[in-house]
Amino acid sequence: MERDAQRRLDAIRAGRSELENAGIDELLAGRVSRRQFLRWGTVVGMSLPTLAIILEACGNTTNTPSGGNIKKGGRLNIGHQTPTGAMDPILTNDLGRLTILGQCGEYLSFSDKDLKLRPVLATSWSPNADGSVWTFKIRQGVKYNDGTTPMTVDDVVATFNRLADPSLKGNNALSNFAGVLSKGNVTKVDSQTVKFQLDAPNGNFPYLVSSDNYNAIILPANYTGNWDQTFIGTGPFKLKKYTVNDSVSLDKNPTYWDQSNQPYLDGLDFKFYDKEPAAILAFQAGSLDVYTQFSVSNGQGLLTDPNTTVIDIPTSAHRQIHLRTDQGPLTDKRVRQAIALSIDRNAIITGLWNGKAQIANDHPIFKMYPSSDTSVAQRAQDVTKAKDLMSQAGKSAGFKVTLYTEQVQEIPALAQLLQAAAKAIGVDITLNITDSGTYYDKYWLDSPLGITDYGHRGVPNTFLQAPLLSTGTWNAAHFSNPTYDGLFKDYVKAIDLSAQKAVTGKIEQLLLDETPLIIPYNYDFLTAVKKKVAGVETTGMGHVNFRLAGITS
Amino acid sequence: MLRFLARRIALALVTLWLLSVIIFLASHALPGDVGRRILGPFADPRAVATLDHSLGVDRPLLVQYLDWIGGFIRGDLGTSLSFHVPVAQLLLRGLGNSVKLALVAFVIVVPLSILGGVVAALRRGTFIDRTISIGGLSATAMPEFVTSIVLILLLSITLKVLPISVQVPPDADPFTQVYHLILPSLPLVLVLFGYIARITRAGMIEALESDYTRTAVLKGLAWRTVVFRHVLRNALMPTIAVVATQTGYLIGGLVVIETMFNYQGIGQLLYTSVAQKDFPLIQAGVMTVGVVYLVATLLADISYSLLNPRIRLAGRE
Repeated sequence: MERDAQRRLDAIRAGRSELENAGIDELLAGRVSRRQFLRWGTVVGMSLPTLAIILEACGNTTNTPSGGNIKKGGRLNIGHQTPTGAMDPILTNDLGRLTILGQCGEYLSFSDKDLKLRPVLATSWSPNADGSVWTFKIRQGVKYNDGTTPMTVDDVVATFNRLADPSLKGNNALSNFAGVLSKGNVTKVDSQTVKFQLDAPNGNFPYLVSSDNYNAIILPANYTGNWDQTFIGTGPFKLKKYTVNDSVSLDKNPTYWDQSNQPYLDGLDFKFYDKEPAAILAFQAGSLDVYTQFSVSNGQGLLTDPNTTVIDIPTSAHRQIHLRTDQGPLTDKRVRQAIALSIDRNAIITGLWNGKAQIANDHPIFKMYPSSDTSVAQRAQDVTKAKDLMSQAGKSAGFKVTLYTEQVQEIPALAQLLQAAAKAIGVDITLNITDSGTYYDKYWLDSPLGITDYGHRGVPNTFLQAPLLSTGTWNAAHFSNPTYDGLFKDYVKAIDLSAQKAVTGKIEQLLLDETPLIIPYNYDFLTAVKKKVAGVETTGMGHVNFRLAGITS
Repeated sequence: MLRFLARRIALALVTLWLLSVIIFLASHALPGDVGRRILGPFADPRAVATLDHSLGVDRPLLVQYLDWIGGFIRGDLGTSLSFHVPVAQLLLRGLGNSVKLALVAFVIVVPLSILGGVVAALRRGTFIDRTISIGGLSATAMPEFVTSIVLILLLSITLKVLPISVQVPPDADPFTQVYHLILPSLPLVLVLFGYIARITRAGMIEALESDYTRTAVLKGLAWRTVVFRHVLRNALMPTIAVVATQTGYLIGGLVVIETMFNYQGIGQLLYTSVAQKDFPLIQAGVMTVGVVYLVATLLADISYSLLNPRIRLAGRE
């Protein structure tokens, strides 16, 4: 907890009754959810601003400027990345769409900035003994934003059987469900219960049906497409007007199910921006109240602007530098280790990210994950050791290699920094930087050395599977290690945290030793909000929750 | 005149057909798979294959071309592969926005630059001439993204006199719409002013030095009559040609301005469609810009021939 947040909480606690302090204790202990606490707090007569301050101090909410008193009504102008395709939960694969989906649609649970799952359309869930069957209790009395249609267990069953269907046109959820959940294995137990029979035991399964799997918005059982005509969902907002490639306006959903958490705002007006500088200028000129995501490279001015609140969320989004292990000059693991030892991670984070990134240790079990084994030593720059490793590998004379990557955000600069660092140990890297399409089509999975961008995941399963498993579909390093494959299986089926941690330490050590990937950092999700706006909640996945957002008086 | 028109229209149609072949082949030469572009690099290969098949992009090229051009002739521009809405709907909105911006820019720049050119020519060698010529040239030489940022910072963020957002309320009256378009049109005015003014100035000087002007002056016509009836009419012909070719640029080539001001014109739409490999949108978009170019050139030719009978008479030979 931040010191000034703690101070504010202490000040509030001093003036509260015994009953109210008992409620705060429950919240701090995690025995009541944020919503339960808010609902309970208003019943015992605590004001909303006080509740907001307590929640913030308890790390349960995001930006609520002190003294902010959110008033009812008003609309927000929101600058947002242009969606790259049709607005449809099943096809969605980009931030442009997932943030919009999340205003009108909802998930079984919401994965918050601390990767905690908050019940939404499911009220509770539990696994069987080995984690191969998961049972979810579904919330009752929820209506869709058309105002009439009730949300039922049948809708939940249909939604997930649809997303697990490989023959469904443009189904983006397959990469999450492949090998995890097959079509037809989601069944109704009774009118309040749904059962997921998994292909294999999976301890992290609830994340795959939470907001982390942004395709998994609960839709009516008879949904057949054309979401952009209706924006159907159970969320706090509903469609007012959608202009493809330009803007979308949403109104408050007057029949939103959560009576104690009705939206403050009358509506949201999203304006789409293709390029970041245009959105930042519009934000600075006052045309926008919120800019949903900006990069450090373009948004330096926002980081220091006194009229702007920057919501800063650490995420597991990162860059993977793959080193091809099966052919070419990097087959010797000592050479791969040497390259990893040549870079100065702290300098890279300061230079490229202005500190808005976290140091990473060449494996994707980032420190933010509860299952991370933080006792594994951080790899640091050591040029002498790197040169020793090069000579042990018989490469003291150096060699040439080409690095392929894409023109995305800071990646070209990262490539140049790696090029300079590797030169010091005799590795002469030639850069081949293309547009993303060309990189992914031609070079990604067939290059000796490359840099790929990976988005956030609430659990590391996908990162550990697709790019690292011998059968992984995104295995650019062509890494094939039976010990690793076995450890991965053990990790996936581990249900509780201690069982997961017992495996992650071994995985982290193995990946550091083999170095199929260099992962120098995982970076933060930055949102710019005008000072007058409060209550905006963001997540690493890129969900921007405006349900409890509003304009302060 | 009719024969002249018929010849020009026939030529325009041949040009359009050639354009259709070129753009079809060029857009299909773009690297990568359509399904993969739509679903993203991390999509499951099964999903990509299903999508490719349902979009018909796995058919032979000739079949796809005939299918597309057949639809195009019937007025069916197809459906956008990435946005799943009729291409016509996207293009019409983009074209409408581009035309609005181009019109505002035109209304400001054409009279202003012709006046500038005329004044510079009539005051040749003076301080005014040098100011207009050198000032115009400097403005033209500056890239649009530089002038755009300077204008935004100055007029919108610091002085707050013009709105940055081209997000005009849908029910806004025409004046409000024009007000929102002034800022994005200013960089265009800066780019075009120097160019059009210089052409006008050169045309004016040539006409002023011609025999017919000398004759008109010598036969005692008032200076005003000489300038308006004899000099200007001849001097403006190259200006018209330049203005006509700039129409195509203003309506199809404003990607930078549209990006800086986040204005959803046809330029930005085309840029997005190329990035997305959205064939129907790329093809119909380029064809639309092609039609705009051809219509603008045709109109220029017609006004040219009205001003100068020698051109339309030449068509009879």
